[in-house]
Amino acid sequence: MLNEKKIRIMTRLALSEEKQGKESFEIGKYYRSDYIRYNLLKTMLSVTFGYVLILGMIILYHAEYLITEAVKLDYAAMGKNALMIYLLLLLVYSVITIAISNRKYSRARRFKRKYGNVLGILRKLYAGESGTDPKEEVTKS
Amino acid sequence: MMLLLEIREKIKEIYYKNKSYADPLWKFVLALTVFIIINGQMGYSARLSSLPVALGLSFLCAFTGGGVFVFLAAVLVVGQIAGNSILLAAVVGVMFIIMYCMVLRLTPNFSYVVILTPILFVLKIPYVLALILGIVGTPMTILPLACGVLTYYTLLAVQTTANATFGVSMEDALNIYKIVVNNIISNREVLIYIMVLAIALLITYVIRRQAFDHAFEIAIAVGTIITILGFMVANLAFGFTGMGKVIGGTLGSAVLALVVWFFKMGLDYTAVERIQFEDDDYYYYVKAVPKLYVTVPEKNVKRMNDPQDDEDYSQTEDLTEDID
Repeated sequence: MLNEKKIRIMTRLALSEEKQGKESFEIGKYYRSDYIRYNLLKTMLSVTFGYVLILGMIILYHAEYLITEAVKLDYAAMGKNALMIYLLLLLVYSVITIAISNRKYSRARRFKRKYGNVLGILRKLYAGESGTDPKEEVTKS
Repeated sequence: MMLLLEIREKIKEIYYKNKSYADPLWKFVLALTVFIIINGQMGYSARLSSLPVALGLSFLCAFTGGGVFVFLAAVLVVGQIAGNSILLAAVVGVMFIIMYCMVLRLTPNFSYVVILTPILFVLKIPYVLALILGIVGTPMTILPLACGVLTYYTLLAVQTTANATFGVSMEDALNIYKIVVNNIISNREVLIYIMVLAIALLITYVIRRQAFDHAFEIAIAVGTIITILGFMVANLAFGFTGMGKVIGGTLGSAVLALVVWFFKMGLDYTAVERIQFEDDDYYYYVKAVPKLYVTVPEKNVKRMNDPQDDEDYSQTEDLTEDID
């Protein structure tokens, strides 16, 4: 027989899963430190790629000057400057990434905990229906 | 005012009831408008400019997320420029990639701003974005907004360069590139627009976060005044021209922002949802229709029995509240 209360809870679960669940469960697969590290790696790669492209565009812009003055240029100083800017960029982006992914992880965990609570209610309903807790049944068998 | 509120509720009701059709429809219309404006502004490639291409791309956008729309628009822009000069297309393409790597990854939900800003520049109301982003966004949205302004002026520089004819030797290619970059660097408007819009966005955001009455209306009004004042300062300090255009556009933008805010006000994002799930005995195909209380007089039902029942549901309510 249809249990209206059960359907209402399951509907709420399914709705929340559709709206926020996918991302939260995906994030929930990781440990917090792993999740942050994974995002940090992605950010560093993309910042590096973007920076290389920017450097390329700057070099192309000054190509004529660079070619005519190729012998007299202080490559060490130029390289040092470029490296300093790169490291600074990495630092700034890392801080932002850590802050963002930390917040995202906390939100996902909060969602998972609430989802788990509602699942518990559903389990209780099942137990009331069949007389035993399905979880216990599983452990028994 | 009452009439306006009623009309809004009617529109909302219709939208909620038909969300599954309305969403793809407005996405399709928006995408088609953007693609047609892109084609109209830089129709260098006859093949890409044809209507079936724009229709096909818009159809794709109607059923996919915002990221696909931004990507397709960027590809269309690069493709159109490639119809004139491969080199210019490469420059713009690389610029888009840099923007994605350095900026848009931080604000993925607002990447469409990069595409919409140039479009709104064409429509003479780029100011509306500062106001609307101040209302719906965070200070981080200054980044995509700045990228959008840069994109517009880059495309403008590309347009002027593309109209002149150049040779195809390596030296010419370098020259074209330098002309475009010089064109952007020497154009003070780029910085003026970025600065003024960023300040307006920030101030709008700060005011609408305050807890006094009519914070949103005041935020829009102050944002509008700041925008106009900012351009006036730019006019005096840097000889920025076209104040009449700016004032008209800003006032128009303020009206538009008010309309957006009016529809956003009290919006709870709940709509008719169709979901399916199963348990041991049944498959459930549930159509969940939210109760819209706004037009119906509110009823207070106090349940006197079964406290256990209430407690259970209060927790499930919690879950959905958090999601909204």
